[in-house]
Amino acid sequence: MSATTATPSVFPSFAEVYQGLAAQIGMLREMAPQPTKSEDRRLKGAIDKLIEETNADEAVWLESCIHCGQCTNACHYFQSMQDAKYAPMRKMDLYRRVYQREISPLRWWYKLISKPVKLKDFEEARELIYDSCTECGRCTMVCPMGIDTASLVHHMRTAMVEAELVPPELAALRMEQLHHGTVFGSSPEALRKMIDTIREKTGVDIPLDKESAEIMVLSSAVDLVANGNGLLATARIMNHIGADWTICSDGFESANFGLLSGDMSLWAKQVEPIVAAAERIKAKTMVIAECGHAYPALRWNPMLRSGDLPFEMMYMSEFLGKQAKAGKLHLTPLDARVTFHDPCKTGRRGGAFDEPRAVLNAMNADVVEMPNNKEYNWCCGGGAGIFLLEDATKLRDESFKIKIREVNETGAEAVVVSCASCRLNFESGRQKNHWDKRVESLVELTAAHLDDAKGADASARGAAR
Amino acid sequence: MSLLEFARGPAIHASLIILVAGIFLRLLGVLVLTRGADLSRPRDAFGNFKGYRTVFSRAWPSSEFTTTTIYQTVMAYVFHISTLLVVVAIVPHIEFITSLTGLSWPGLPNFIGVALGTIALASLIALILRRLSNPAVYNSTLGDYVTWIIVALPLLTGLMAFAHVGLRYETMLALHILSAALLFAYMPFSKLMHAFWFIFSRAQSGLAYAHKGVRI
Repeated sequence: MSATTATPSVFPSFAEVYQGLAAQIGMLREMAPQPTKSEDRRLKGAIDKLIEETNADEAVWLESCIHCGQCTNACHYFQSMQDAKYAPMRKMDLYRRVYQREISPLRWWYKLISKPVKLKDFEEARELIYDSCTECGRCTMVCPMGIDTASLVHHMRTAMVEAELVPPELAALRMEQLHHGTVFGSSPEALRKMIDTIREKTGVDIPLDKESAEIMVLSSAVDLVANGNGLLATARIMNHIGADWTICSDGFESANFGLLSGDMSLWAKQVEPIVAAAERIKAKTMVIAECGHAYPALRWNPMLRSGDLPFEMMYMSEFLGKQAKAGKLHLTPLDARVTFHDPCKTGRRGGAFDEPRAVLNAMNADVVEMPNNKEYNWCCGGGAGIFLLEDATKLRDESFKIKIREVNETGAEAVVVSCASCRLNFESGRQKNHWDKRVESLVELTAAHLDDAKGADASARGAAR
Repeated sequence: MSLLEFARGPAIHASLIILVAGIFLRLLGVLVLTRGADLSRPRDAFGNFKGYRTVFSRAWPSSEFTTTTIYQTVMAYVFHISTLLVVVAIVPHIEFITSLTGLSWPGLPNFIGVALGTIALASLIALILRRLSNPAVYNSTLGDYVTWIIVALPLLTGLMAFAHVGLRYETMLALHILSAALLFAYMPFSKLMHAFWFIFSRAQSGLAYAHKGVRI
C-alpha cells in the first residue's frame, strides 16, 4: 500500500527526501542574518511589540495563571525531558513580567517589586519560545483556567523578531521569503520545472496558470524542491475527480515563514499574492497543500477578512474528505490497520477532524484511534518550525517517543499524517528509532488508491474513444 | 482600643474596602483593554457561541489527563467547597455578615463547622505537600507560598480560637479576624483573583477554539 508504488522510479522515496532535506537544513544556520540593531533598540522593540499586541484576551490569560501545574504534564516536551523549565506556564513568564510592568492596572506596584526586563531575558526565553513549544495547544486542554498558552507564545515570537532573536534556521528562511519570495529556492521556475518533469516522466498533466479555474491548488517548498510525489499525487487526484483546477505561478507557496518566525508583516505579505491570484482566476475553492501551518496562515489568518472573499479556503485533508463524502473519490480498498495523526495546526487548532478520517473510511481501512486523539492528540514535536531547528534536536527526538508509544498501542501497521512537518518528523523518528511502522501522507496514500477505472478522467477517456 | 476591637473595627473594614476597590480596579483595568479581532470566517456561522460552554465544561479535566490531575482536582474541590461553607455557613460568620449587611440565614451546627474547617485545612496541606514534592511540575514562586500561608492562617486561627487552644480566646479571635483582614486586602493583588478570571479566561479560549470548530 505504499504511496510511492504507483510511480517508483520518478521521484525519490520520502525516506530519501528526508535525508536530502536534512542536509539542506544544516546549511541554513550559516546563512542566518546577524543582529543589525543596537541592544537597546532590540529590547525596546520587543517590549513595544508586546505592548502593541496585548489586548484584553492576552491580559486575562496572563492574569489567570495560578501555577497549578496541570499544564506541565500535558506538554510533550516536559513529559519527555522532565525538566521544570519546559513547563508551559514558564513560557509565559517573561511576557507576564512585561505585561505586569507596562500594561497591568497594578503596574505601579509591579514596577516596585519586579526587576526591569533586559535583552538577556529574551535571549534566555528563546529556547522556550521556539525550541520547546510547537504551539500545539495541548496544555490549553487541561488548564483549569483555559489559558491559551500557544497564542501567548506566538506573541512572544513576534517580540523575538524585534529582538532579532529568531533561531538561525527560521531567520534564514524568513529572510529568503522576505527578499526573494521563495523557500528553499522554490521559485516559479522551480514549479514549472517540476510540472514539466511530472508531465514528461508520468504523463500526468498539471494545468499551470489557467486564466480561470474553479479550484486553485497551492503547493509547498517541500513538494517542489524535494518531494515531487506530493504534487504528482495532488494532480492525479484532481484529474481523477475531473476538477477544473490550476496552480498559479504567482501564488502557490503554502509555507509562511512570517507566521513561523513571528513576523506578522511578512505573514500578511505572503498571503496577498495568493489571495490576489485566487480572485483573478475567479476560484471558488482554494486547496492548501499538506503543510500544517499554512492552514492557520491562510484559513485562520486573523488579519484576513475571509468571510468577504469570493472563495473558500480548505486544507488538503478537508478537500479530500469532502470529495470522499460526495462520492467523487473512487478508491480501492486499503487492506490494513492504520491510525491517523492529527497535525496540531489542522486538528486541535484547526478543527479539521472528520474529513481525513472520511478519506480513510472511503478506502475501507481499519482505522484505529490513538489513546489520545483529535483534540487531545499528542503533538509529534516537529511543528511550528521546530523540525528545522538543530538546537531542538534532542527535544524533538525525546518527545517523539511519546508518539511511538501512542501509535504502537493502536496495533496499526501505518500511521497516516497530513502535514509535511509532521511527516518529516515522523520519518526522522522512524529512521532514528528503527521503528517498524510505515508513515504515509494522506494525499499520496489517496493517489495510490485511486480506482482508475471509475474516475472522471477515465470516463472522459471513454467518451473520447 | 483592644486588639480585638481594632480587628473587628478599622482592620476588617479597611480590608474590605481594599478588597472591593482592588477587585474593581484590577478587573476593570484589564477588561477595558481593546479586544483583538479575528477577521477570519468562522467554521460555522453561529458556532462561536458554543465556546461559552468551556466556562462550565472545564470544571473537570478530561479523562485523558486523569492520571496526572486527579489528586489535585479532588483536593482542590474539597478545599474550595469546605472553605466556602465555613465562610458563609457557621454562626459567628453569619453574625458578622449580618452586622455588615443586615442579611441573615440559619447556620450549621458547630461540630459540622469544625469538621469542615479541619477538612479545608487538611486539603490545603495536602495541596502544598504535592507542590513541595513535585518542584518540576509546579515551578513555584515566592507568591505561591505567600498566598498559601495567607489562605491557611484564617483557617488555622479560626480553628484554634474555636477550640480554645493557643493564646487566650480574645487574642486568638483577634488574630483570626486580622488574618481574614490580611486575606481580604491581599486578594486583589494576588493569584486569588482567579476567582474572577476563570470565567473570562475559559470563555475567551472556548470562543477562540469554537471559531475553528473545535470543542475544548
